[in-house]
Order: sequence, then structure tokens, then C-alpha cells
Amino acid sequence: MSRPTTVPPHYHRKRLVTWLLVALLLVLVYFSAKECRVDHQLFSSGVGEGLRFLTELFPPDYSTFSEMLYPALETIMIALLATVLGALFSLAFALAGAANLAPLWLKSLSRLAMALERALPEIIVILLLVAALGLGPFPGVVALSIGCLGMLGRLFADAIEEVDAKTMEAVASVGATKAQIIRYVVLPQVMPSLIANTLFRLEINIRLSVLLGAVGAGGIGYEIFYSFQLLEYERASMAILVVLALVFFSERLSDFLRNRLIPEGKLK
Amino acid sequence: MIEVKNITKRLPNGKAILDGVSFTAHRGDFIGILGPSGAGKTTLIRCLNGLTQPSSGQVIITQGERTYEVNRCRGKALRKLRQKIGVIFQGFNLVTRLSALDNVMIGRLGQVHPMRSLFYGFTNQEAEEAMDALDQVKIAHLAHRTVASLSGGETQRVAIARAIFQRPVMLLADEPIANLDPTNAQKIMRLLKPLSERMPTIGVFHQPDIAAQFCTRIISLKDGKVAYDGSPHLSNEQLEEVYGTSGRLSAVSTPAS
Repeated sequence: MSRPTTVPPHYHRKRLVTWLLVALLLVLVYFSAKECRVDHQLFSSGVGEGLRFLTELFPPDYSTFSEMLYPALETIMIALLATVLGALFSLAFALAGAANLAPLWLKSLSRLAMALERALPEIIVILLLVAALGLGPFPGVVALSIGCLGMLGRLFADAIEEVDAKTMEAVASVGATKAQIIRYVVLPQVMPSLIANTLFRLEINIRLSVLLGAVGAGGIGYEIFYSFQLLEYERASMAILVVLALVFFSERLSDFLRNRLIPEGKLK
Repeated sequence: MIEVKNITKRLPNGKAILDGVSFTAHRGDFIGILGPSGAGKTTLIRCLNGLTQPSSGQVIITQGERTYEVNRCRGKALRKLRQKIGVIFQGFNLVTRLSALDNVMIGRLGQVHPMRSLFYGFTNQEAEEAMDALDQVKIAHLAHRTVASLSGGETQRVAIARAIFQRPVMLLADEPIANLDPTNAQKIMRLLKPLSERMPTIGVFHQPDIAAQFCTRIISLKDGKVAYDGSPHLSNEQLEEVYGTSGRLSAVSTPAS
């Protein structure tokens, strides 16, 4: 009995496939670059243009700082309201979308709605809502609330599905109703996931709320957009500084709250 | 009083997990269910409080003048019945992120108005009674701790306190000491014993010696049928009969030390 000394047959084929894939990628990159009109001359002149533009942003016009406070607050309020509404909305869909609580048809329907929402970028939602509800902070709140659904709904539903079935059964065996089981077993057990993900979504919503401002939802984003329109670059850079501070501190605050509200070690 | 009349539970493939099991338990009875793995012990316990519906037969619970037929109950009637049956599980099955006290109060969820339980919670009076229940199992000092932070023995005490606070008319225990060390197993049995004097108590056990020490009666199951029903003090020959071959007996009857 001699050992096989020949190379396994698909060894060469595997190498060939790898090279073919690399070649295919290069071809795709080439055509994409051609379609997007990549121009090295425009690029080199663009760098100079960009640097000149950056110098125009400096120094920020600090005197406009007080004018930025209310728009910044408006951005925070839009994000906060949207996150609270969106989290409640998502929890309702998550309870309906958890296989261990809902019948199959309801679960599938809810999961489908969440998947569709995930496929829809926030900017499309806001454009639709601006068309439907007009300009202002309210369409922004509605758009961002709906925007929570795809992410938070999915994460909440997955967390709910991990709740121990035996614990739910034990509480059912003292005669509890389904609503009571949700209140006394499901919610306490998923609370860390609820808090952590909602705070994370709040960070995202603050960033998105800045972005939505620029398309008419008000707040600090609108200040940036408006200043650029008027070519007041130093005012715009002040607003950008406020956004940087806002996002930075909202992330710090959210980290702090997460750590305070969900003490490690007690998690299971 | 609980009457089990000829209950049979079949799997969809026709195999009988329980095959014509009958017995009656009265107040003062502490019945230990013994039997090899797969004999149907857990299924029997589950049939007694309607977590599983038997394929045929009846389970009838009598409290004073009232009788409840377990396998006729659905929905609200089933919930009403379950309020009267305390259950203690092998895996404790408590809400790990809630405190010991909250878990005890869950025992009475079926008995408070749903709206109150959803939006308000329990009254101070109920909290005091729940503390009494924790005190009876000697862990009142752990009331505020989350169950996740408690040891196995402490966790099972919380489960017993929950059953006490529930004020049931009957107590079921599905392998309540299987996950505990021998010392804790003894302590838990000593807590169950006085409860068993107040209401019919049925427990599944794996250690015949512990069952003999605490139970007033043993029922052994084999292949879904009652193989023995009588005194808790079984002879070696009878134990061999319960667990099959003598080889299996020595493996099973050795205390889990």
C-alpha cells in the first residue's frame, strides 16, 4: 500500500479560481473608475482647492457661538424624542417578532417589516416625510423614530428570543398571564440589551439628526447648510465645532450611563 | 387531595411516555417518584399542573368542596388552577436579573389583578409577606440580591419561598435537589418536609436514600408504568426492580457525594 504522492486534483483548480477572481475584480474596478470619471488632474488641482477652502473655514467665527446653542439643543431634542419613540415602537415590533412569544405569522410579518425598514436609508425616509409632512423638526423626529425600527427592533427581538424558556414556563406555572410574563420575566431579562442598544442608537440619532437638519429638519445641521449657502464659512466652521463637541460628549455620556446602569458581573 | 386516574401520554410516534398511571395523594403525603431516566417522571409532574396535556386519563385536584380537572382546563381556568399548585424545578428557573424578593412575589402573579401587576406592582403588605416567606427559608438577609448572584442552594431557597408565598394547595418538585451538593440537598429537603405536612407534595428524586429519609411514600415508574407504590423503605431487591439491573442500581443509588 503506497501513499498517494500526487497533489489532490482541486489544488490547481483552486489557484486558478483565485487568480480569475482577482482579474475579475481588477476589470470591475477599471470600468467603475472609467464610469465615475476618475481624473488625476482634477484630483491634484482639487487638493489645492480643498486646502484653500479649509483656510477659509479658519478661524471659526466665535461670536456666533450663542446663535448655535438653540439649534444644537434642537438637534439634541429631535434625537432624544426620536430615540424614545423609536425604542418604544421597536419594542412593540420586537415582542411581535420574537419566535418564543408570537405565533409564526405575526413573527414573520414583524421581522419582514423590520428587514424592509433596514433596507431603507434614513435619508430616503426623511425625503419621503418632507414631501408628506413638510419642512421642520417634526418630520425629522418621525423619520428617525422609524429609522430605529430596523436596528433596535431586530436587536430587541433577538435578545427576547434568548430569554430562558424554562423561566417563562416556571412563571406561567404560578398562573401568570402572557402580559405578566412579559412584564416580570422578559423585560427584566432583556433590560441590559434594551438600555445598551437604545443608548447606542441615541448616539447614532444625534449624528443623523445633524445630517437631517441639512435637508430641512432644523437644528444645527441646518445652520451648517445655511451658512454654506450664504458663503459664511467662518460661521459654518463654528457650527461644525459645536457638532464635534456635541457628538463627542454625547458618546461620553452614553458610555457613562451604560456603565452605570448595567453593572458588570450582575449580568447573566 | 389529588387523584391521578389512568393517565397516558403518547409521543406523536405512538411511544407511551406514561402508560396508565394512577394514584391518589392526600394531605400529609410526601410522595417521592423514583425511576430510571426516561421512565416518565418529569412528564408525570408536568401533567399534574397542565404544562403537558396527557393523551388520556384525568388529574383531579380537590380543595374543600371544589374540584378541578386539570386536563379539562384551558386559558383562564388553567391559570386559576395553577395558582393553587406550587412548583419547584431542578434548574430553579427564576428570573435571574430580579432580586430574590421580586422572585418570591412573582409566586402570587396569578392572584393579583393583572392591571395592578402590570402598572403598579405589589403592595407593601405583600412585600412583607414575601419577606416572611424568605425568612422561613432563612435567607431574608439576601432579599435585595439579584438571583444571578446567589449560589445554587440559596437560589433553590428562593424558589421554595416563592412556592410558600404562592399559598398553594399542592406542591410539586421536579428533581429539586439534583443540582445541589449533598449538604445543600439535605437542607432543602428539611425545608420541604414541613410544607409536605400542610399539603400533598409530590417530588421526583434520584437518590432513594434521601427519598426514604423524607418521603412518606414512594412511587416508582418504569417504562411509563407504576412499578411500585408503597413504603419509602425499599429493600435492595425492590430497588433493583426500580432501576433495572443491579449494575445500574449501584451507579444510581450512591449518594451524589
